[in-house]
Amino acid sequence: MIKVDHLTVNFGPSVAVRDVSFSVAQGESFGLVGESGSGKSTILRTVMGLNPDWSGSIKIDGQDTKSTSRTDLARRVQMVFQDPYASLHPRYVIGHAIAEPMRINKMPNPEKRTLELLDLIGLGGQFRFRFPHELSGGQRQRVAIARALALNPKILLLDEPTSALDVSIQAEILNLLNQLRKELNLTFVIVSHDLAVISYMCDRLMVMRNAEAVETLSRSQLRSRDIAQSYTRELIAAS
Amino acid sequence: MSVIADPIIDPKRALRAARIAEFKSFARRFMRNPLGMVGLVIVIALLVCAALAPILATHDPYLPALSDRLAAPGAEYWFGADELGRDIYSRIIYGSRLTLLIVALVIVTSAPVGLVIGAIAGNYGGWVDRIFMRITDVFLAIPKLLLALAFVAALGPGIVNAALAITLTAWPPYARLARAEALIVRNSDYVNAIRLAGASDFHIIVYHIMPMCLSSVIVRMTFDMAGIILTAAGLGFIGLGAQPPLPEWGAMISTGRKFIFDQWWVATVPGFAIFIVSLGFNLLGDAMRDLLDPHLRQRR
Amino acid sequence: MSDNLVEIEDLRIAFPREGGMTDAVRGVSLSLGREKLGIVGESGSGKSLTGRALLGVLPSYARVSVDKMMFDGIDLTTASPKLRRSLRGGRMGMILQDPKFSLNPVMRVGLQIVEAIRIGDKKLPKREAYSQALAILEAVHIRDPERVFSLYPHELSGGMGQRVMIAMMVVREPDLLIADEPTSALDVTVQTQVLSILDELVTRRGMGLIFISHDLRLVSRFCDRVIVMYAGQIVETIRADRLNEATHPYTRGLLACLPTIDGPLDPLPVLQRQASWLEARP
Repeated sequence: MIKVDHLTVNFGPSVAVRDVSFSVAQGESFGLVGESGSGKSTILRTVMGLNPDWSGSIKIDGQDTKSTSRTDLARRVQMVFQDPYASLHPRYVIGHAIAEPMRINKMPNPEKRTLELLDLIGLGGQFRFRFPHELSGGQRQRVAIARALALNPKILLLDEPTSALDVSIQAEILNLLNQLRKELNLTFVIVSHDLAVISYMCDRLMVMRNAEAVETLSRSQLRSRDIAQSYTRELIAAS
Repeated sequence: MSVIADPIIDPKRALRAARIAEFKSFARRFMRNPLGMVGLVIVIALLVCAALAPILATHDPYLPALSDRLAAPGAEYWFGADELGRDIYSRIIYGSRLTLLIVALVIVTSAPVGLVIGAIAGNYGGWVDRIFMRITDVFLAIPKLLLALAFVAALGPGIVNAALAITLTAWPPYARLARAEALIVRNSDYVNAIRLAGASDFHIIVYHIMPMCLSSVIVRMTFDMAGIILTAAGLGFIGLGAQPPLPEWGAMISTGRKFIFDQWWVATVPGFAIFIVSLGFNLLGDAMRDLLDPHLRQRR
Repeated sequence: MSDNLVEIEDLRIAFPREGGMTDAVRGVSLSLGREKLGIVGESGSGKSLTGRALLGVLPSYARVSVDKMMFDGIDLTTASPKLRRSLRGGRMGMILQDPKFSLNPVMRVGLQIVEAIRIGDKKLPKREAYSQALAILEAVHIRDPERVFSLYPHELSGGMGQRVMIAMMVVREPDLLIADEPTSALDVTVQTQVLSILDELVTRRGMGLIFISHDLRLVSRFCDRVIVMYAGQIVETIRADRLNEATHPYTRGLLACLPTIDGPLDPLPVLQRQASWLEARP
């Protein structure tokens, strides 16, 4: 589904991601784990086309993202951001926020589908006319997930989806994500600094450090401590 | 949360209810600011004067009564009469229409122009930003009154030309302001999210960036109204704004200047009118800033 | 006369909101000896406000009422603002989540430490203060204290900044240190180092520490005693090494809902909040 080859991303003179390759299969959940500044979020943003300055190749569904139009890409991949307080427009009620991607892409029945999506993420239709500031962090993140699902994408990129939330809310969101993945047959790429979250959510993971990939492990390798790199062990010990 | 009765059955009404609730909470917070209320009362009084001028005025503002020229304030002429015996009170009342006209003309032309230019510059960045902002800088570098003077001199004096001239000097600050907001907003996650959904730049600028610039622009606008009134009066004073016999406040001061030592009221009353109205707009602007300014709001 | 460093009885904090007051802290009582006390709770539980009330740095519009608030025999409810200020400067210290906001951005960090020392002891000669500042930087395990001394805050990494912050607070040898999420902004590997430095200093100098955090596991590893707060009240106080024996459903729920590296892949148990938790407790 996703194939990233020799990706290098520059921010001006500094290198944010250096020669990283990985691939994610259909229906798989793939984790990127590392500390701040390791480049894991930058990879997601680059896949989505939010960073202009990169080299290498990114293929989604076999299509090169460089030659795919933004709207075409939007129907395949969507992203959920880290901070639910910053990812919803403060002036619009959430029903509008969820329906807007469908209106932009001229999908039929945005109103009806908004209600369905609100039910799907466990908020219910009565939330349609609430403003974001009336919702809690967990509820906002649910709305952000609904908005990302509005265009029926097959792939969801999640950038630290729960790190701004309380732990009890984190559990709810993680459960919701797992349930959605099963029901809608989604492919996930999850970025997190929390190895426990990644181990719980992901079938495979890649450990990153200082803009470079350290190693790629399967969940069973992680759990049986079948690990080659000492940095990964350090991370496990610290969590 | 009983405000929202049954949103699924009647979505339009529910949306309206949500908007009204927003507005009510805004109004409640505004009422807590006494100085802001004073400003609001002054501005409303100005609007009432302008709307009901024929009813409120006691005399015809244009009709000379030479026997009463320069009459002192009293029962007949509340604020006295000017050098042609016209009632100053009535002229002030009618003058509020001119003041509002100029303010409205300037605001509806300068704020949208500035907003659009700033939002576009901020959204695209790069060379678009550079070109638009350098143009803005050029306008900012010329003294306001001087530019307005030159413009009026070229077009000929008159109230509409005065308003146009002020517009020419008033839009750059809006562009600056809107650009600064746009620069922050365009990198926010909610704009990124909608960009990822395939939204065009036009859509993003109009529906996402501009609404966020709007509150700063409104605040700036309220403050600016005081300045516009002063500039308009200044142009009137030097004879380049409203022409006689229009009861424009600045022009009224200008004619009263000749009698300032003996008949002080001729110049003083319109002066007070200008002072009170610009104070009112300033107080209102202050209160609006406390409520709307996104940067102040974050600090609380 | 008890030998407790801090005693708080029935602390209540409320904030004015539209149409009335919102209670943020509702009757918190606690006591602290020379030990490490953790206060754990989710956002909005009132844990940070409790720490700030003790220091006297709440915003002016907060309404505070308390039956008793003592610090080492000093009654803080009647103490003058001047006395409270000098307590904050000398005998109480606070470490905040992000050192970037607590350090003066245009002053070299070493000089900030020197300043802190000389505020506490005005008669101390300058050279003495300098060498003390270098010594404390060394004590927080900064390898090259001379170099770090002359850096500006923006030149420090997150972990380094937090160490400098700790150095600045500890150098006055306060009796009480309040640390509000001191490591939440740091990477996990750095977190451990910073915590062990904090632990070492607190233990060696015999300070009392109030460690405010949302992370129950972290607190239990680090503190002697843990207070769990929910919606402005203390729901449970427990010895950190007996956390697994916690009885309150909220505490148990908090522990259970965290995923672990080697944990099961079943849906995570979700905290079922019960209205009864909000009721007043004896």
